[in-house]
Amino acid sequence: MHEASIALSLIDVASEVLREHGAARASALTVRVGAWSSVVPEALTAAFPACAAGTGLEGARLSVVTVPGVGDCPAHGRVTLDVTRGLRCPSCGAPTPTLVQGDELELDEIELAEPDLEDV
Amino acid sequence: MTATNPRIVTVRQNILKANDHTAAENRAAFAAAGVRAINLASSPGAGKTALLERTLRDLAGQVSMAVAVGDLATENDAARLRQHGAQAEQIVTGTVCHLDAAMVQGVLPRFDLAGLEVLFLENVGNLVCPSSYDLGEAARAVLISTTEGEDKPLKYPTMFNTADVVVITKMDLADAVGFDRDLCRENIDRARPGVPVIELSSRSGAGLDAWFAFVRGQGA
Ligand SMILES: Nc1nc2c(ncn2[C@@H]2O[C@H](COP(=O)(O)OP(=O)(O)OP(=O)(O)O)[C@@H](O)[C@H]2O)c(=O)[nH]1
Ligand SMILES: [Mg+2]
Ligand SMILES: [Zn+2]
Repeated sequence: MHEASIALSLIDVASEVLREHGAARASALTVRVGAWSSVVPEALTAAFPACAAGTGLEGARLSVVTVPGVGDCPAHGRVTLDVTRGLRCPSCGAPTPTLVQGDELELDEIELAEPDLEDV
Repeated sequence: MTATNPRIVTVRQNILKANDHTAAENRAAFAAAGVRAINLASSPGAGKTALLERTLRDLAGQVSMAVAVGDLATENDAARLRQHGAQAEQIVTGTVCHLDAAMVQGVLPRFDLAGLEVLFLENVGNLVCPSSYDLGEAARAVLISTTEGEDKPLKYPTMFNTADVVVITKMDLADAVGFDRDLCRENIDRARPGVPVIELSSRSGAGLDAWFAFVRGQGA
């Protein structure tokens, strides 16, 4: 399981965004995880709280949006792929050699927390 | 101060951008030194070290090679590889189940890159985590052994989908274990349409020529 490593990298990227915006804390963040990213959303949300402890992300709500795989079929154009069948068009079985989407692993957005009175 | 509504900031940034940045530095260092770096990944025990031992032995004197090998705890693989006269450096990853670009960068000063043609990066035996981490390699080889089940490529699509070559190892055992070659190749092609596949045995030596051509960068 490498979700703990991913969670730590996520916190690094998010902390940088907090610094850039002069914010001390985030209350929520959304990440986009592709079906072909090899990251298990449940494992990432499970690993996140412990990794976030003591950072500006502590207590932030993490939402993981799963992005389905999309391929390009020569006959059917853009098709949604089934990860258990590989890069094959679900309608005709033709190979769809490249992933148009579905391999992302990105921090999509952050909700900055209101500064508490004690922080001001 | 008056309260404002929570601010939503759109970020859209790759979570592993720091790794990708370091990988780009490694790639530039390899290019500057004229080194072909090859990342080898597989499930535990698929035969990465055995294939590298055989490669170091058979290409000794023809290609100057070295290995950086990741392992959770032991020095065993590096010790095995050194017996063949090549430099082998261990990267102890501790609890981390993959190599990342910073670990590789950390070990590079121990090598004389300018004197090397090929640097093998033996990843930790694991078909999940290494797939996310670019090390700066020129090519990624994913190994699957005849003894581990033909469905692996579809169970671990990301790893196989990032392969530049897929190597089927332990072909000497194929008949004994009832290996379904066509099914395995079909599943590999589903995970990575068109990827070159090399079937070989590090034990018998069958199929090694195609692998050696890949090592030299002459295609699979
Ligand atoms: N029969 C046969 N056995 C092999 C072959 N290649 C490797 N083996 C055996 O498979 C076992 C595992 O091989 P390794 O080379 O250590 O595998 P590995 O992928 O480096 O393993 P980890 O580094 O632990 O992930 C050893 O007992 C090898 O002798 C082969 O071509 N034929
Ligand atoms: Mg090994
Ligand atoms: Zn189609």
